[in-house]
This record gives sequence, structure tokens and C-alpha cells, in this order.
Amino acid sequence: MIKFENVIKTYNNSRALDGINLQIHHGEFISLVGLSGAGKSTLLKLIIGEEQIDGGKILIDDIDISQVKKSDLPYLRRKIGMVFQDIKLLPKRTAFENVAFAMEVCGHHSEKIQSEVPKILDLVGLLHKRDSFPEEMSGGEKQRVAIARALSHRPVLLLADEPTGNLDEVNAGEVLDLLLKINQLGTTVILATHASDLVNKIKKRVVTIEEGKITMQQEKGRYQL
Amino acid sequence: MFESISFFRIMKIGFVNFWRNFWLSLAATIVMTVTLVIFSTLLLVFVLTNYSIHTIQNTVDVSVYFKIGLAEDQIVKIKDDISQDPRIKEVDYVSAAQAFDSFKAAHQGDPLITESLNELTENPLPATLHIKTYNLGDYPAIAQNLESDQYKNSIDKVNFEDNRLVIDRLNKILKFIVTFGLVLVAVFVFIAILVIFNTITLTIYNRKEEVEIMRLVGATNWYIRGPFLTESVLYSIFSTIITGLLFIPVFYKVLPKVIAYVNPQVNIYANSLFHFGYLVLILFVLALLLSVVSTMFAIRKYLKI
Repeated sequence: MIKFENVIKTYNNSRALDGINLQIHHGEFISLVGLSGAGKSTLLKLIIGEEQIDGGKILIDDIDISQVKKSDLPYLRRKIGMVFQDIKLLPKRTAFENVAFAMEVCGHHSEKIQSEVPKILDLVGLLHKRDSFPEEMSGGEKQRVAIARALSHRPVLLLADEPTGNLDEVNAGEVLDLLLKINQLGTTVILATHASDLVNKIKKRVVTIEEGKITMQQEKGRYQL
Repeated sequence: MFESISFFRIMKIGFVNFWRNFWLSLAATIVMTVTLVIFSTLLLVFVLTNYSIHTIQNTVDVSVYFKIGLAEDQIVKIKDDISQDPRIKEVDYVSAAQAFDSFKAAHQGDPLITESLNELTENPLPATLHIKTYNLGDYPAIAQNLESDQYKNSIDKVNFEDNRLVIDRLNKILKFIVTFGLVLVAVFVFIAILVIFNTITLTIYNRKEEVEIMRLVGATNWYIRGPFLTESVLYSIFSTIITGLLFIPVFYKVLPKVIAYVNPQVNIYANSLFHFGYLVLILFVLALLLSVVSTMFAIRKYLKI
């Protein structure tokens, strides 16, 4: 599904990613581990076209994303959901409205939004919080709303960049369970994290990045540096 | 570019932004309105002055009075001679008989004059030529030429009403209005652009989070830019409406009085291009141009898409 071929990314003459070769298949759950600044976030940003590569190739379903026109990037992004450590919910909108916002932006009709959003909120287990504002929710709940938002386009791929970074153990566990559930439903998930205990629980493929290079790949792996 | 549902949503966000930053929007609208008021005042004064000059110019001509009893074929020869001059626009010939008839017709109601005219055995009025040139500046030279020895035996008198002084003065006023007005308009156009640029920049800043999320969830570039453009179009619409309302009384009440006072012969309202609708249209186009251009600048500079 996604193929990195000798990908290079440099910032101000320092290499953030140095010759990455990686293949990710449909329906996989991949944990991308490494210290902060190792290049995990950069890798995710390259996938959604937020950053441009300086060498090599990234193929998503055989489409070379460096060839995708800037005006077509939004359509690529609709195929890919993304969640972040800082969650990025709109504070003045309820859980429902935050998810609906993503659908509105992409031109879905109101009737569809009205019928879809409750389903997605139900999937993340927050239908009872549909009218709550972000400040009335726990960190884990907020992150689950963000995941619901990312799922609103029914993406084939979900990228999670340190989604549990700001959460306590219980909340982090909730979020992880949700990501695993989404993966079971068929969505490919890439989880970038440095939370070792979390990764050890998953028991799925682990890719370790150090200083912009992949140093280890294990099937059903553990967090190791 | 986008479906109607997106268009509707873009408009809605634009409206909401306009009301949320009400004071900023008001400031932008007022500055734009002031610019439009100055511009339309200048435009009206310019059109009026220009039109007056044109009307007065048309009244200027050189009149040539021939000696009484001069044979018509000689007059025609001189007329043809003069018409060759490329500077001359038209030469109008009024024969002695025509002059006599029109004089009689003009004083029909006056028994004294009618009686005296009847006493005459001979037509006392000379044949005349009325000459108009293309350029106002050519009149003195042409008048001088007609007074030369060549025509001394045929022409009795050459006369032209020298309105050039008035016209010169009007032209100077016009030139001043245009120069001064253009500078004033330029200054206010600059201010308007700056204010709108800053207003939109602030809106972009206020909506930074929203824009980032929009981008993230796959909003198209135009969907992100649209609301800012909508907002700036609203400034243009409101300022055009306000300026239009201010100018209705000026256009229909004040202006006719000014014209009647300055130059009663000028009926500029008869000119189909001098229409309130056109003024509003010009204002709207100008306002739209200003706001859209400054918004595009702000978007290019601050809206990372």
C-alpha cells in the first residue's frame, strides 16, 4: 500500500530522514518508534504531503505522491486520517460539531453529516458526549473525538502522531484500544510513539527509527532501542 | 471549482467572520466608503467640468462679414478656399437674403422694426461665414489670415467671440482637479488597501486553528480562501451601498442646482451615460478590485495552504 524507496528529507542541511526503505501493507498496524526528533513525525508529514521529499520516492497505492499536484493534495488527505499529540479540536464546537466540521469542509451534504456523525461517535464510544465541548472532556475523550474526526472520511489509512503523548496511562490505553479496533475494521494504522509500554502491549509490527534511519524491523515486536 | 453546498458554506463562514470581527469590519468598510466618496466626488466634478468646457467650446466660432453687394460666386470661392484648411472643421455660409429673412422672422412681433424693414429698398445685412476649427488654439491664426490683404477687397469685418479666456481658465481648473484628485484618490486607495490587508490578516490569525484543521481534513485551497474573499466582497458591497445612498441626494438634488447656477445651457442629464446606475457600478467595481487585491495579498503572505 505504501512504499518508501530510499527516501531522503533534509532540513537546513541536516538529514531528518536518510534513505528510508519501508513497505506497509493494507490492513497492517505499524508502530513507528524512536526518540523525539528521530524522524517519526517527518515521515508521517511526508505521507500526507505536508512536507516534500528531497530524494527517493513514496508510493501510495502505486501513486508517486511527489507527482501529486498541490491542488490535488486535499483529495489525498481525505483518504488519510491523522491525529496528533495536541489533538487540535476546535474549542468552541461540540464533539458532534468537531466531527461534522471535517465533513462540511469536504462538501458532504447536511443529511449525510447528520446520519454519519452519530455512527462515528458511537464507534469511538462517545455518542453520549456528542454535545460536550472539548473543555468538558478528558484528554482521552478529546483524542477519541479527534480520531472520530479523522475517520469521518472513511480513510484507508490512519496516521497517529504521538496520540497518547499528553495522556495518562488509563486514557492512553483507551486511545490505543480504539486504534486497534479501527485497525480490526480494516483501516491501516501507523502509530508513531515513544511510549514503550504501549508498544509492548500491541504485539504487532514495530519499526524503529534512529537519527533518520530505520535500524530495526520486527514482526510482533517490542520497543527496543 | 466547488459544489453549491460548499459555496453556500464558504459564504456562511465569510458572513460569520464579518460579524465576529464587527469593529474591524466596520473600520474596513468606513475607510473603503471614504475612498469611494472621494472618488465619486472627483468623478462627478471632472465629468461636469469637462462637459461644460465641451459645451462652451462649441459656442466659439469666427464670423466673417462680407462687403455688402459682393457677388455670390466670389463668396463661394472664398468659402471653398477657406474650407481647404485642414485645421477647419466646418464653414457655415449664411447669404445676405437668409440673414435678412431670419432677422425679419426674429423680430416679427416688433411693428417698429417690421415697418422700418419694409421701408428699405436694399438689404442692409451682409453675407456671413461662420467658421469652426478642431482646435481652440487655431482661432486667432485663422482670424488673422482672413484679415490679410488677400481678402481685403471682399471682407468687411472678421469677428470672433474670444471665449478662450474662460475656456483656458476652465481647463486649468480641470487640470488642477485631476492632479489634486488623483493624488487624493491614490492616498486613500493606499490606505484602504492597507486597512483591508490588516483586517484580513487579523482574521487569518484569529482563524489559524480552524484553517490548520481544515487543511488537515482535506479542505480544498479555495474552500480555505473562500471565506476571506467573501469577507472582503462584503466590505465592497456595504461601502458601495453606503456611498450610493449618500450620493442619491447629491445626484438628484444638489447637482442640478449647481449646474443651473454654473451653466444653465448644460444639460448633462440628457447624456445617457450620465446615469446614477453607472456611477454605482463603477464604485462597486473599484471597491471590489481594491478589496480582492488586498485580500489576495494577505492570503498569499499569511495563509499557509
